[in-house]
Amino acid sequence: MSKRALAVLATVFVLSGCTSVATTVIPNVTAQVPVPGNASVAAVPTAAAGDQCANPLASLRPPNPLPAPGQMPAGSTMAKIVQRGKLIVGVDQNTFHMGFRDPSTGQIQGFDIDMARAVAQALFGDPNAVQLKVLTSDQRIPALQNGDVDIVVRTMTITCDRLKQVAFSAVYYDAKQRILVKQNSPIDGPDALAGKRVCATKGSTSLAAVAALPVKPVPVSVSDWTDCLVMLQQGQVDAVSTDDVILAGMTAQDQYTKIVGAPLADEPYGMAMPLQNQDFVRFVNGVLANIEAGGSWTASYQRWLGGLLPGAAPAPPTPQYRD
Amino acid sequence: MLGAGGGGMTAVQADRRVRGLARLGGTTPGVLGGFALSLILVALLAGALTGLGVQNRAQAVDDLAARSGPLSVAAEQIYQSLSDADATATGAFLSGGLEPAATRQRYEADIAQASGTLAIAVAAREPADITASGSALATLSEQLPVYAGLVETARADNQQGLPLGAAYQREASTLMRTRLLPMAQDLYRSETAQVTADQDGAGAFPIVELLLGLIVLGLLVAAQVVLFRRTNRVFNVGLLGATAATLVSLLWVMVSGIAVMGDISASQRDGSTQVDVLAAARIATLAARADETLTLVARGAGQAYQADFVQVDKQLGGLLTTAGNQATDSGVRAKIDAAKADHAAWTTAHGTLRKADDSGDYGGAVTVAIGTAPDSAATAFDKLDSDLREAIDQTRSAFTSKVTGAGNALNGVVAVVAVLAVLTAAGAGAGIWRRLRDYR
Repeated sequence: MSKRALAVLATVFVLSGCTSVATTVIPNVTAQVPVPGNASVAAVPTAAAGDQCANPLASLRPPNPLPAPGQMPAGSTMAKIVQRGKLIVGVDQNTFHMGFRDPSTGQIQGFDIDMARAVAQALFGDPNAVQLKVLTSDQRIPALQNGDVDIVVRTMTITCDRLKQVAFSAVYYDAKQRILVKQNSPIDGPDALAGKRVCATKGSTSLAAVAALPVKPVPVSVSDWTDCLVMLQQGQVDAVSTDDVILAGMTAQDQYTKIVGAPLADEPYGMAMPLQNQDFVRFVNGVLANIEAGGSWTASYQRWLGGLLPGAAPAPPTPQYRD
Repeated sequence: MLGAGGGGMTAVQADRRVRGLARLGGTTPGVLGGFALSLILVALLAGALTGLGVQNRAQAVDDLAARSGPLSVAAEQIYQSLSDADATATGAFLSGGLEPAATRQRYEADIAQASGTLAIAVAAREPADITASGSALATLSEQLPVYAGLVETARADNQQGLPLGAAYQREASTLMRTRLLPMAQDLYRSETAQVTADQDGAGAFPIVELLLGLIVLGLLVAAQVVLFRRTNRVFNVGLLGATAATLVSLLWVMVSGIAVMGDISASQRDGSTQVDVLAAARIATLAARADETLTLVARGAGQAYQADFVQVDKQLGGLLTTAGNQATDSGVRAKIDAAKADHAAWTTAHGTLRKADDSGDYGGAVTVAIGTAPDSAATAFDKLDSDLREAIDQTRSAFTSKVTGAGNALNGVVAVVAVLAVLTAAGAGAGIWRRLRDYR
């Protein structure tokens, strides 16, 4: 009898057309946003703030008189550079009007580049005797230590920590760390950054300063400063915090951003050189003193930064020396 | 209403039937009738199974020609177009100023080719393949518009003279290198694996068909032996005809099967194996070119790209040597020889370029990289790329012609098998029926 039952069942199934239909479920696709290469939510060592030293801004006193171009003392660092024929300079190509690549000409130019060319002028009598090597923030000190570059002129802040690894010239520019946000952002200063994503470059003093803020923002690190502006435009960070002069370059590229709040820190810029090349540090300080006194510092400021920063051109920083 | 008759039969009736059958089985007409019945059934079944086997083989050949073969080409095309688009977009930054019209057209052609081919690759799959997590095709479809958007943002910034454009271009390039290209490579791997699977299916030895044919033959011989013993007649026209039909069918299937095996193995040797190596060489060429360009764009911060160039370039040399050793066609070998020469010229140009860049002559390095001089890296790269493309096209057409040959070898085989199976069954049935009539 069970045979018959099975047969009846089979017939019923066939007649009722009972087949299983596979349906395709359309999934909800979530957007994967692109990020700049190397971007990461940084776990920053905040120990840097603890380092103290006597007067980091006092650099080595320049020789008097300064050797004439092409006539460097035998055996000096400068003589080696002159013999090579080019001054190798570590620079930036992403920071508008400090060191940037003009897309229309492909040339790297800016205030930092003018400073480097002044050193080349003093060494060779030719401001074009430079080889510009682009470095990211975190490549600056290794490049100097490996001897890849003679000098770094790249919005580099003089700190006690860095003084242990490289030598700095006297201050050639006084910057202040501030905050950049979009025009419609409610953020009005460092205190409003609690829990906000704040961008700065890897290995910069700005990143350490952001991480050290008591309100605990989320520091996001990238390779280049323009990557921060990309992330701000794409809404991936809430603010960018670094030196006013760099931020001014960003507002010049995006009119829907603004610089807000009181300065977080002083950022005195120096040119960095290998620790052992003291003769070169003295020489560079002499060059700096000359261009500051001779008016070409002010001319460069007006050419590159005058339109970016409010107010008239400030006086060049007063150099501090030790012997 | 299956089983209704059996259920209605009483036990006595059933017992009587069984005993009747057993008695019949012992007699000559019973044996002959049994043989006739089983011969007809086995001949038809074997014919159906053989036809199915041939049909499967023909399907695999058809897939090779119409599906997996073209789709592996599509996958390679997607990778190549994406990679070229990135190298072109990045290279446009090197020229500075106004973007050259040819560069823009090349980028646009690459994006059009990549999107169009992607649509074909997606259409050839089931929806479930696309919705599966980690699907290469889904990622490619989702991320390609994002990439193109970033490149256009970079251009817009560039046209206003903003360094921000370079940052967008870097972000686009990162997206290409970390998400799109790895997925395109996955896709290419899975499509070429499908080609290999289809080749295995089409080029297998027809063992089942051989066994089926031998079984039918064995039964026919046995029937004739039994017939001879029971009736003392040596020849039976029907059974002889059935045997001949089976033999013809078996031979036909074996000859066509072995011809297909030969064609498929040739399609591997002269086609897909070489295409694999040549396609890998072309991908390496494009990757090396992107590295070369990015090293200059990064301008001093590009050691990672240069290290990658050295590695990829070494790999490229090895691939060209392998391709040269595998080449079976003189035209292809000539192309590969030309590719080797162009690779050497490129290596020289790259050396000049690096030397210029490392010694601070950035402008000179850019000229070598993108200039149109006969000894520039761009010229050598373009020549190498077109050599490889032509070699790939030639080996692909060898693949296609061998697969077409395999398809032709199977033309009409199913019909022949079916007709001969029916003839076998009819011959066996008719032959034995004549003898059975003698017992009336």
